[in-house]
Amino acid sequence: MAAKKLKVWALVALVLIVAAVTACSKDNGGKASNASDSPSASSSPSAGSSPAETAPDGPTGKYDPPIEVTTVRSINAGVKFQEGDSLDSNIWTKDFESALGIKVTNKWKVSDQQYQNKMAVTMASGDLPDFMLVDAQQFQVLVQADTIADLTDVYAKYASDLTKKSIEEGGGLRMKAATVNGKIMGIPADGGGRDDAHSIYIRTDWLQNLGLEPPKTMDDVIKIALAFTKDDPDKNGKNDTYGLSLDMSLFNGWSGLEGFFNGYHAYPFNPTKGTGTNLNFIKGADGKAVWADTQPEVKTALGKLQELFKAGAIYPEFSVIDGVKSGELVTSGKVGMAYGAFWVPTWPINNMKKDVPGFDWGIYPIVSADDKPAMAQSTGGLPSKFYVVSKKSKHPEAPFILLNRVVDKLYGNFDIQFHTVVKGDVTYGLHMYPPINGSFAEKNQEAASAVQEALQTNNTSQLNEEQKQYYDQVQQYNAGDLGMWASYKLWAPGGVFDVLGQYKKNNLIFQSAYTGNPTPTMIAKGPSLRDEQVRTFTAIIMGSQPVDYFDEWVAKWMESGGKDILDEVNASGQVQ
Amino acid sequence: MIRRNWKIELPLHLMLVPGLVVVLLFSYGPMAGVVIAFQNYIPVKGIFGSEWVGLEHFRYVYGLPETMTVLRNTITISSMKIVSGLLAPLVTALLLNEIGKRIFKRTVQTVIYMPHFLSWVIMAGILLDVLSPTTGIVNRFMEWLGLSKVFFLGNADWFPYVLVGTDTLKEFGFGTIVYLAAITGINPALYEAAVLDGANRWKQTLHVTLPGIVPIIVLLLTLSLGNVLNAGFDQVYNLYSPSVYSTGDILDTYVYRIGLGNGQYGVATAVGLFKSVISLVLISVSYFLAYRLANYRIF
Repeated sequence: MAAKKLKVWALVALVLIVAAVTACSKDNGGKASNASDSPSASSSPSAGSSPAETAPDGPTGKYDPPIEVTTVRSINAGVKFQEGDSLDSNIWTKDFESALGIKVTNKWKVSDQQYQNKMAVTMASGDLPDFMLVDAQQFQVLVQADTIADLTDVYAKYASDLTKKSIEEGGGLRMKAATVNGKIMGIPADGGGRDDAHSIYIRTDWLQNLGLEPPKTMDDVIKIALAFTKDDPDKNGKNDTYGLSLDMSLFNGWSGLEGFFNGYHAYPFNPTKGTGTNLNFIKGADGKAVWADTQPEVKTALGKLQELFKAGAIYPEFSVIDGVKSGELVTSGKVGMAYGAFWVPTWPINNMKKDVPGFDWGIYPIVSADDKPAMAQSTGGLPSKFYVVSKKSKHPEAPFILLNRVVDKLYGNFDIQFHTVVKGDVTYGLHMYPPINGSFAEKNQEAASAVQEALQTNNTSQLNEEQKQYYDQVQQYNAGDLGMWASYKLWAPGGVFDVLGQYKKNNLIFQSAYTGNPTPTMIAKGPSLRDEQVRTFTAIIMGSQPVDYFDEWVAKWMESGGKDILDEVNASGQVQ
Repeated sequence: MIRRNWKIELPLHLMLVPGLVVVLLFSYGPMAGVVIAFQNYIPVKGIFGSEWVGLEHFRYVYGLPETMTVLRNTITISSMKIVSGLLAPLVTALLLNEIGKRIFKRTVQTVIYMPHFLSWVIMAGILLDVLSPTTGIVNRFMEWLGLSKVFFLGNADWFPYVLVGTDTLKEFGFGTIVYLAAITGINPALYEAAVLDGANRWKQTLHVTLPGIVPIIVLLLTLSLGNVLNAGFDQVYNLYSPSVYSTGDILDTYVYRIGLGNGQYGVATAVGLFKSVISLVLISVSYFLAYRLANYRIF
């Protein structure tokens, strides 16, 4: 009996200890994050009085004693780390600590798929890190809530010239989007670029097998798609190929329909899994903005897609597969043509030429259905992401000090060891590691023309280190290394940037006429309007609704919120 | 005497403390958050700083064109799931119970239990291939039987049944084990008596086994009624696509798409609160009925 009693008490003790330990560790966690909330809470009172301590007084300088700033990160599955490295500790974090006296702590890290939701939860909890990356909508919410810092003065004092160039390049569209009521509330993380405009990717070996020429008009595109479907382009004797790649996203940098629509001078954009608030507007003859997606040209293009689907040129199950799956169909040699952005050579078709002898892809500019040249649409012009600084942050200038360092290492005085390390077969993209990054809208375009010039003259002296690297990769490909195919298709003549360069030179890029943030009705009704649109477009393409259903949908869109959106957009004063 | 009992029971009560704390902290604590449903909630301003808007979110959700469709889908799908989730494991358990070979019985039990451990992300990947009309094994088989092909995941008419079918497939092994356990608990003397009275296997099942597990059936049914508005977010989210929104979209996926993705916390909470109230009513009613009809009490 006594022994039994002892056992019971032992069990109780064990349970309580476990509970206590869990509670304690929770406590510690709480303390740790408190400490990081106010990195220099303990040191700041003395900061003013002690002369031995330093802090940057402009774009450069070092904190002594070191400060700690917190942030949060998203992890991209494509980013690889060498042994011992992580987002928490790598060449960048070490450099920040030694050169700037800034220790960057990641409060959490999640995959980029979940980042947006995790960020939403963090905003809800109110426990904001010192600086963080948010999307356009979250940016707006944070501005309204008045919890992020006004960066106007800090920007003027601490941003380096190069940082300023990166933010203001391209007509200052990025800066405009980050400015609210005359105050700079965030650092635009992307935008300004036009490289997301679509090109046509076509299997050249299939073209050759069937004796076809690259497309000159939309009729050619349709002819090729049908031939790829019916004429057994892979010569395996089976009717198992499709002409045009498509998946449930409808609009996407990979196998989206933007380029196809553009061929008919239609500019719709509303991806299935998008926010439903990033919309394209066209300025009509009367100066008023109209929504691109409801224009009659969209209907024409949908009719053509319906014909393609009926003829079997589009994968019959496209409505249930995502981009990864449509990528698999293409890499397994089932689909011969796709519309896509500049990065398609790096994914998903990057290894096809290496893996299967005979496979090859050509990249062609989008074509028009008539004698008017086609304009390729770009939705990357406006920033979709911003770095913002918490109002509670003790060092609102620290993100700029970091950003100055990053743009200097990656663009100003390019340092390859901070950009890419190749070990064996694996390429480590170190430039993806920093918690804050700048970009130059035309950097890739400039690199491509520099590389091409060097290829022609055999003179590499004009290239910076990054461009030299691209040049070397192209030369490696020319020497027979098929693993460098993606680089070749990006930088060499006949590659993506040749196509994009043509668009840019001839002013053939369409951008939305509205440059403002999402309007209240867009936020409230955008998602459900998006669902209705995606459903309608999918149904029309699959032929379960006639093409004329488009008109019905337009009327319904106007009624159920579209009119309000147009009114808000036209009243915003941001239609350009 | 009472003092002595107290001494023995005290440790047992103490063992409850951690669990109780966790429940209070994570189940009761967050309930205060339902006030968000009545606020124009801005995360960083917090519950105390956000503006009160009364029932506006409820009106907004009610006014959305899809709300009624989504509600109907939710109830249809989860009702079908409840029925098939009750019958499939019950029948399987009764059949397995008739099998004498222990090894065979255990093997079947384990094999059908396995899918329960797969996540819906993985199941969805498998189902996408298995149910494909062009390459899927199910459609190949149907073609061989002379039936026409069915686009299971892309056809709005079929989609709800696919949801019910795959959910049952994944979960019925789990239910089977519960029923088998209940069957084991039946007093063997009852079977002996039935045999003496001349009952065959079928009569034994009908008059001994089934009445013996009625309490468990009622319990599981009562509990599942409380879940009528939870039609399975994971499953639907991983399997659906725009073309089946009309019949496959459920309350949770709908709120996820329009709410959290776009930071509409007030709306999402309003829907959550609505779900909880309906569930509370349903579970109370079904518990009352279970008590009245089957004289079964949980508490």
